[in-house]
Amino acid sequence: MLLTTSVGSLPKPDYLIAARAQARKGALSAKELAKLEQQATREWIAFQDAIGIDILVDGEQYRGDMIAYFAEQFGGFKESGLVRAYGNRYYRKPIIVGAVRRRKPVTINWWKFAQSLTQRPVKGMLTGPYTIMDWSFNEHYRSRRDATLALAKLVHDEAHDLERAGCQYIQIDEPAISTRPEEIDLAIEALGIATDGLKAKTITHICYGNFEGLLPKLAKLPVDQIDLEFANRDFELLKLFKGRRFPKEIGLGLVDVHSHRIEPVEEVAANLRRALLVFSPRQVYPDPDCGLKTRTVDEAKAKLTAVVEATRIVREELARPATSARAKPARRAGSSRPRTSEHV
Amino acid sequence: MIATVVGSFPKVAETGIGTSVMRAITRHQQGELSDAQLEQVFQDATRTVIKEQERAGVDIPSDGQIRWEDPVTALARHVDGFEINGLERYFDNNVYYRRPILRRTPMRKRPIFLGQYLFARGCTSKPLKVVLPGPYTVVAMSDDRYYKNPRPFLRSIAEILNEEARTLADAGAMLIQFDEPALGFGRPPMSAVVEAINIATEGVKSKTALYTYFGHLEGKLAALQRCHVDILGVDVVSDSRTLQAVNRHTWKQELALGCVDARNTSLESITELHALFDVIVKRVPQDRLYINPNAGLEFLPYEQACQKLRRLVEAVRKYR
Repeated sequence: MLLTTSVGSLPKPDYLIAARAQARKGALSAKELAKLEQQATREWIAFQDAIGIDILVDGEQYRGDMIAYFAEQFGGFKESGLVRAYGNRYYRKPIIVGAVRRRKPVTINWWKFAQSLTQRPVKGMLTGPYTIMDWSFNEHYRSRRDATLALAKLVHDEAHDLERAGCQYIQIDEPAISTRPEEIDLAIEALGIATDGLKAKTITHICYGNFEGLLPKLAKLPVDQIDLEFANRDFELLKLFKGRRFPKEIGLGLVDVHSHRIEPVEEVAANLRRALLVFSPRQVYPDPDCGLKTRTVDEAKAKLTAVVEATRIVREELARPATSARAKPARRAGSSRPRTSEHV
Repeated sequence: MIATVVGSFPKVAETGIGTSVMRAITRHQQGELSDAQLEQVFQDATRTVIKEQERAGVDIPSDGQIRWEDPVTALARHVDGFEINGLERYFDNNVYYRRPILRRTPMRKRPIFLGQYLFARGCTSKPLKVVLPGPYTVVAMSDDRYYKNPRPFLRSIAEILNEEARTLADAGAMLIQFDEPALGFGRPPMSAVVEAINIATEGVKSKTALYTYFGHLEGKLAALQRCHVDILGVDVVSDSRTLQAVNRHTWKQELALGCVDARNTSLESITELHALFDVIVKRVPQDRLYINPNAGLEFLPYEQACQKLRRLVEAVRKYR
């Protein structure tokens, strides 16, 4: 009950950031870089094990970002110049220049490596077809739909390879779904292709949207679990789910990944209790709002620890006999925390 | 037929300005760079992107909006009554902005964009357009926890923008543009929007423009014809319904045609652009036409942004 996890990316340690810059300039070999990526992965797995996270991630130490990584591995893409996303953050937005194809499995070796380091399950992390399409330029396919469905087949093959390798949790992120609500049916169709025939537990993460119009459709996404950010907007999202039975599991974002502030454990616990007034404990997987890669290593560790410790407190409360659990009312201590206007 | 831009230019590049602006913002946040040092970096980049537009042959460049962290924070940060809040997706783009929260009556304490305009004007001998967010877009992008009613909110933002536009026009700005991407989405309260635009442009001595982009204008153009602006900008790339709507209307204002896709790298051909011009000149004569990308160029990598501008200018020159 209340299995803790995280959304995918974790920050890269300074030595790895420096090494990636070196490698880009040609001053470090791919082999040397891979060694450091493995070292960082080992450190993150050890940390997650140490604090007692239930479902681990490999931390994506070897990925630039969730789109470019797949675009670099798939055929049919060209790397583009830099494009700004917000504030001082920018990325390389790939360009689809030909028919997309999967030349070889993309994430399997890294998943196997990470899983070999721990007894607990490690999630397989993929980017969804709709998001890869929406976050790339398209110079090849005639329509957004054609591009999305072509990509869905590649994600399907990758997900099945993960399952064959023994992966029990496969997360296929579709953060772009909230961009164009009028295209949600396309996203559902594509995710249906990607998850078709999988027995592993499937999850999708969506972020930054106005979910009011999207909510009835969220239940139609062909996955077992929807992961959403709640902390980013003071848990206002809970109101949308109140009074209705949401038929899927919920990945519950409990800490804000865009704030430097470390949420106190008691505040996180209070917010988890609030969420449990809306969702059943069996339904909920506590985690951070989104990938933590934009935080420093220390901030990410502190935020993950807060999620795990808060969950432990609430689990213990739930395990107590009903009377004493009720004696501790769901406080609203964390509901009015100050907002900071920090830039990442 | 005049070649122009909508406003923003890439703030990050492989060469030239490189990541200087991004690094300066980071270092400024960390307290390693003073306000004056950050300003210097903004000025250098602004000069570069104005020159870039000149090189491409643009008739009316903009300052590239290098300092604009996003299309609404650039204003809201300097208006009393707003609090800058968490990240939100910027319409249907993979780009984010900070959604401001309105807590009190919005008040402009001093000119906001004047300094930037005066600097940019000194960088070019060409006429420069000044871009301001439109009142409806400011309202649509904000979280109104004060009025809890769009009408008074719209009116007070329109009044602030009017003060701003008058100040800029008095300082010599020849063209002041209000950007209203929010009009492309949902069902805007059109009569309140028109009223707000007309407050914003009242008594402004310069030429004025209202630019729309993203989404579509079906069902909205008739109202927009009532706006007291000299130029109405439309994006005919994002949704085919907009061009259909343009073709159904008698055009009162001058028309700015957003016809080169600022959100995809695929380069338009001269032939397809000319085919579009052939359709448009039947509605609006050439001497009342502005040709520009469908939106700010910041969605493209720097190199492709320049390429697209060169292509646009080439299409305009050959057509003239």
